[in-house]
Amino acid sequence: MTIAVENDAKRKWDGAANSFDFLSFGDDKRFAGYKRRLFAKMYGKSLMVATGTGNDFKFFPPGQDIVALDISPKMLEKAAPRAVGYPGTLTLREMDVCKLDYPDNTFDTVVTVCTFCSVPKPIVGLTELRRVLKPGGQILMFEHMRSAIAQFGVLLDMMTPLTRRLGPDLNRDTVGNVLKAGFRLRRVENVYMDIVRIIEAVKD
Amino acid sequence: MFFQIGDFLVGMLVGVLTALAVRVLMWPGIDMVIAMLIGMGVGMVIHFVIAFALGPLLGMFQTMMPASVIGMYGGMFFGMRDSMEAGSATYGAAALVGAIFGAVVVAALKIYDRALHGPTLDLEA
Repeated sequence: MTIAVENDAKRKWDGAANSFDFLSFGDDKRFAGYKRRLFAKMYGKSLMVATGTGNDFKFFPPGQDIVALDISPKMLEKAAPRAVGYPGTLTLREMDVCKLDYPDNTFDTVVTVCTFCSVPKPIVGLTELRRVLKPGGQILMFEHMRSAIAQFGVLLDMMTPLTRRLGPDLNRDTVGNVLKAGFRLRRVENVYMDIVRIIEAVKD
Repeated sequence: MFFQIGDFLVGMLVGVLTALAVRVLMWPGIDMVIAMLIGMGVGMVIHFVIAFALGPLLGMFQTMMPASVIGMYGGMFFGMRDSMEAGSATYGAAALVGAIFGAVVVAALKIYDRALHGPTLDLEA
């Protein structure tokens, strides 16, 4: 069952690799400042999950030591030239966030961008990220989620069955999932309404 | 500025297309509840198509959320109006009202977004 879910996710994101940069063009431009400000808080050894085509590498501060993961080999192929161009150490690896091949307490920082709208088992994935974070380590997330405003929340619920086929769910409770995974929230910021948000949390 | 103008143009486009589609499908005397339900459905389909077509250029959520409100509520309002023959006698007039409705919704959501914007929790401060 787990392997089937993993293969579905891999197939879905392999299929999206060619159109990914086009689909994220507008978001990339509109949210650039927020991402740059968030990633400026990276320190130590960092892990980025669901790297996609690497279109967020340009927002990383230079000189970082980063491992960037994705479940999709096609996405990683696209990301490879961008990883080479990053002014620091950036290593790409094919891996599922729910089964990280790293020992406990490895990383100081974890970075995610629009990741936990798509991970099939978000709490499992977040718990796994918490495991590989060192005590006191931080997770910096730029994510979209379900609105707590009833009108918008219902609309996002209605759209999710279709968007799920193309890629993400629109109605995840990502702040709640971060708490369920055992993190302590440090900062939550609304970027667009209460749908696109920055979440900063720490492992105590 | 490109994105701000684009947001309004997309909102107006969804409003115009919804108003015209509802006008084509409705007739005076149709049960108002049925008219509103059909209008809502038509508006939702139009919003979905437009948002997915233009969202990549302008940002998915900034396109999709206003478009969904315009399609859903606009479709209901336009259906109600057309079932009663209550104004906007020509297609041009219906389209104009659709554009105005779209622009007003986009502006309202921008104000709402501005009000919600910023930290809701900040233990660093």
